[in-house]
Amino acid sequence: MDELLLSKVRLGVVAELLNYDWVAFSELVRSLDTTNGNLGAHLSKLVDAGYVEEEKSFANRRPLSRYRLTKRGREAFANHVAQLQSLLKAAT
Amino acid sequence: MEPLDAAAAQDHLEMVNRILAESHQRLCNGGEYFVVWGIGSAYITVLAQLVHGGLVPFAATWSLPIVIAVCAAFSIVRSRQTRLVLQRSSLLQREFFNVLWLTLGLAFVVDIAGFNIFTGLAGAAIWSVAEAIVLLYIGMHGNRRAQIAGVLVVVSLVAANFALPGIAGYVLGAGMLLGYAGFGASELLARE
Repeated sequence: MDELLLSKVRLGVVAELLNYDWVAFSELVRSLDTTNGNLGAHLSKLVDAGYVEEEKSFANRRPLSRYRLTKRGREAFANHVAQLQSLLKAAT
Repeated sequence: MEPLDAAAAQDHLEMVNRILAESHQRLCNGGEYFVVWGIGSAYITVLAQLVHGGLVPFAATWSLPIVIAVCAAFSIVRSRQTRLVLQRSSLLQREFFNVLWLTLGLAFVVDIAGFNIFTGLAGAAIWSVAEAIVLLYIGMHGNRRAQIAGVLVVVSLVAANFALPGIAGYVLGAGMLLGYAGFGASELLARE
């Protein structure tokens, strides 16, 4: 299994990004019901691993961080979910 | 990190399924474009019919490029505004906007470049076809209002074909106004 996606928050981030082009940091905090600091730390790990791409800009003079899933992140997510399903199937 | 047991795996999978189910696949995110272009295209079509019927002087056709320019300027300014503040833009939405701009852009170019071929109301009919494609494309992704609006535009096209020459333009214009602009207005109301 993918070590990075064993964390529920990181798995949730990748799932949130799956159907979207870019998602704002504030939107992810709200969707995943977590804190800014916690999410920031998890996102850094995903960005460092090349699973997620980060874009920093300004909107209406306010900083805006947006994230999107990379091809590598998409593949890792698909593999990880397949392995979760296999584990569940083997256990039942 | 600890390897997962079956219970944790199930918990993770349930979370993934919930997130994917809640993914907001709202395709149309710009009712204002439909309102502006629906009114603009209906105005052009109805004006052409009025001029053709002698009810309005030919000089009024000078307003056509102005109306088109206003619609285009609004679309450019509005899309730049929303691009900066849009929190989420789904892949499906991006694909939809590609279809929208390609269809309307092509209809626009055909109308301008092929004005000798598409004379009279043929240009307006091309606009109706382009608008129907956009609406039915949105409808294909589950938007019932877009399905109804698309059918309305197609019905207006067929009705205009069989209508008296003196009122065909009004029928096409009504389809654009009720179908295209009407759909945009209903999207804006739903967003509120």
